[in-house]
Amino acid sequence: MTSESLDAFVNNLETYGKIYGPVKTGESCSFQEISQSKEMALNYSRTMIPPKKFFLKLKERMFIFDERECEYEETLEDGKIVVFGIHPCDIYALKLMDKIYLDKNPDKYYQMRRENATLIGYSCHPDEYCFCQSQGTNYAVDGFDLFLHELKDKFLVRIGSEKGNKIASENSKFFMDVESSDIQEFREAEGKREKEFTLKLAINGLTDMLALSYESDVWKEYADKCFGCGSCNLVCPTCRCYDVVDNVNMDLKSGERQRMLNSCMLKKHGLVYGGKNFRPTRVERLRNRFNCKGSLREDMMNCVGCGRCTVYCPSKIDYVEVLRRVRGEL
Amino acid sequence: MMENVFLPKLAKIVKNEKMTAMEHFLRLQLLDKKTAEEFQYNLGQFIEISIMGVGEAPFSICSMQNQKYLLDLCIRSGGRVTSAILRLGEGSLVGVRGPYGNGFPLKEMEGSNLLLVAGGLGVAPLRSILQYSLKNRAKYRDITFFYGIRTYDTMLFRDEFNSLLAGGDESGCKFYLSYEDPKDEQCLLLEAEYSDRCMSGVVSKLFERTEISPKDTYAIICGPSIMYKFVGQELTKRDVPPERILISLERRMRCGIGKCGNCIIGDGSSIRYVCKDGPVFTYWDALHTKGMI
Ligand SMILES: Cc1cc2nc3c(=O)[nH]c(=O)nc-3n(C[C@H](O)[C@H](O)[C@H](O)COP(=O)(O)OP(=O)(O)OC[C@H]3O[C@@H](n4cnc5c(N)ncnc54)[C@H](O)[C@@H]3O)c2cc1C
Ligand code: SF4
Ligand code: SF4
Ligand code: FES
Repeated sequence: MTSESLDAFVNNLETYGKIYGPVKTGESCSFQEISQSKEMALNYSRTMIPPKKFFLKLKERMFIFDERECEYEETLEDGKIVVFGIHPCDIYALKLMDKIYLDKNPDKYYQMRRENATLIGYSCHPDEYCFCQSQGTNYAVDGFDLFLHELKDKFLVRIGSEKGNKIASENSKFFMDVESSDIQEFREAEGKREKEFTLKLAINGLTDMLALSYESDVWKEYADKCFGCGSCNLVCPTCRCYDVVDNVNMDLKSGERQRMLNSCMLKKHGLVYGGKNFRPTRVERLRNRFNCKGSLREDMMNCVGCGRCTVYCPSKIDYVEVLRRVRGEL
Repeated sequence: MMENVFLPKLAKIVKNEKMTAMEHFLRLQLLDKKTAEEFQYNLGQFIEISIMGVGEAPFSICSMQNQKYLLDLCIRSGGRVTSAILRLGEGSLVGVRGPYGNGFPLKEMEGSNLLLVAGGLGVAPLRSILQYSLKNRAKYRDITFFYGIRTYDTMLFRDEFNSLLAGGDESGCKFYLSYEDPKDEQCLLLEAEYSDRCMSGVVSKLFERTEISPKDTYAIICGPSIMYKFVGQELTKRDVPPERILISLERRMRCGIGKCGNCIIGDGSSIRYVCKDGPVFTYWDALHTKGMI
C-alpha cells in the first residue's frame, strides 16, 4: 500500500466499526475516536492507557438486578470498533489477556468486545524506555488482523487473520503485490530497528532470580519510595485485576453489579475476613507486583516491556532498574 | 447465545440455623431442577454466593453430593455478604456460581489411611470428606479426625462430632478433639469422659495421642493459615511425604475462575491462582511457593 493511500484506506475502515487511533493529548497520547488518518499521531511512542481499555473497562456493569425478587438481567454493550496503530508490545499484551479471559471459562464481556474489534498494528521505533526486545515482544507474529510496516513511501502490510484477509480483499484497490525490492527494504528497516534498542533486561532465569531474592532488601528500598498509588497497574497493558461491587439505586431494591479495575498496589487487594491481610505492607505489595510481572504464566512473561510503569510512576521507580538490582547487576 | 459465567443461578435457602455465636449452617437448593442435577462437584470445591445489592463471596461446600441436590454450607458472619446471608430467612433466594476450584483427590487417596486435621471454621470442607469416606468406608483404611476448637461454644457441627466421640472406633473413624481454653467447663467434662480422645492445647498436640503410619497416609489440613506451618512440621517430622499432605487455602476472591487476579500468590517461578489452581494444594507446593503459608 502506498503512503498516499493511507487516508482513503482509513476512511474505508468505517465499514468495520468506529475507528480509534493514537491521538496526541497534551504531553502524552491516547487512543481516541477519529474520523481521518490526519488526526492520528502515528509516530507515537506509547499511549498512557493501553488498548486494554477497549476490552476491560475501567468500570463496567455486569448485570442489573431486583433485590427483592432476586431477579437479574445481564447487560452487554455491543458495537464494532477498529483499533488502528497498535504496537507489537500491546498486541502481545492482548494475547496474554486472551489466554486469561478466553480460557475454559470465557468472560463474555471481554469475548464480545474482542470479537467486535479489528486490530490494525503499526510499526514503531523504541525510545529509551522500551525494552520489548528483551521481553521478546518487539515483533508481533500474530494477534492482529492487519499490520502496517512503514517503509519509505509505502507500507508493507501483513495479514494476521481471516478478518484481516477479508478487509484486505474488500479494499484490494489500495494494495499492491509485494516486490522483491519491498522485501529488501523491509528487511533493512527491521534490521535497523533491532539496533535501535538501548534499554536491555536479561530475562533468562529471571523467574528464579525473583524467587531467590524474595527476602532481598531491594524490595524495602523501593517500597519506601513507592506512594502506593496504583498508577503502574492502571497503565500496564497486562494488569487486569478487578474488584466487584453492587450498587443499589435510590429505590433500595434495584441496582447493578459492577466491576472495576483494581490494583495490587492498594492495601485492600490482599485483605480477607477478619482484617487479615496477606500483603500487609508496601514491601509485600511491591514485591508481589514484580514477581507477578516477572513470572511465566500461560506460557508468557507477564510483562511486555512497554515501559509505561516506569514513565508514569510519580516516584520514578524504574522497572528495569529494580529487576537489575534484584539480579545483582547494579 | 454464549453463556455468561458471571450470572449466578438462583437457589433457595431451605435451612438457616445458628450453630454458634458466629457461625450459621446454611442449606441451599438450586431452583432449577436441571441445573441442580448438573451441579456435580468435587469435595473441597467452593461456590460463590451472591446477595443482590450486597455482593458475592466464596464458601466451601461442606456436604457430599446427595440425591436431593442439597448444598450444605457453614458460614461465619462478620463481613458484608456473610452478615447479610445470615439475616435471610428460609425460603429466601440467593445466587450461586460454581462449583469452582480443584477439590481433594479422593480417588488417589483410596486404599490409604486418612488423617483429617481441622482448625475452627476449617472443619467445613473436611466435613464433606468425612461424610464421604464414612459412606464409602471400604475404600479407605484408618480414618482419623483431629478437630481443634477454642472453646466448646465455638465447636461446629456439635451433635455430629459428639456422637463420633461417644461412638469411639465403632463410628468408623477415630475422632480427637483439642480445645485451647484450659478452663472451659464443657470441654473439661468431655475430657473427663473421653480422656484418650480429648485434650486441652492446640490441634497439633493431638499428634501425641496417636501413631501415624507415614507410608500410606494422606493428611488433609484446613484451618487458619498459621496452622499449616505447625501441622505441616509435625507431619514432616513423622515422615509423611509433603506431596501427600493436602491443604486448603483462603484468599480474597472476586471471580473464582482465574480472571480477577485477587487470589494470585507466589514468586517469579511459581505464580498460582488459589481459585483455579487450588484451593487445595500440597504441602510440597507450599514449601515451593513463596507466601502460600
Ligand atoms: C475457597 C474459600 C472457601 C471459603 N469457605 C468458607 C466457608 O466455608 N465458610 C465461611 O464462613 N467462610 C469461607 N470463606 C471465607 C469467606 O469467603 C469470607 O468470609 C467472605 O468473603 C467475607 O465476605 P464478606 O462480604 O462477608 O466480607 P466483606 O464485607 O467483603 O469484607 C471485606 C473485607 O473487609 C474485612 N472485614 C470485614 N469485616 C470485618 C470486620 N468485622 N473486622 C475487620 N475486618 C473486616 C475483611 O478483611 C474482609 O475480607 C472461604 C473463602 C475461600 C477463599
Ligand atoms: S506507580 Fe510507582 S508510586 Fe505508584 S504504586 Fe506503582 S510503583 Fe508505587
Ligand atoms: S510491567 Fe511495566 S513495562 Fe511491563 S508491561 Fe507492565 S507497564 Fe509495561
Ligand atoms: S478469584 Fe479471581 S483470579 Fe482467583
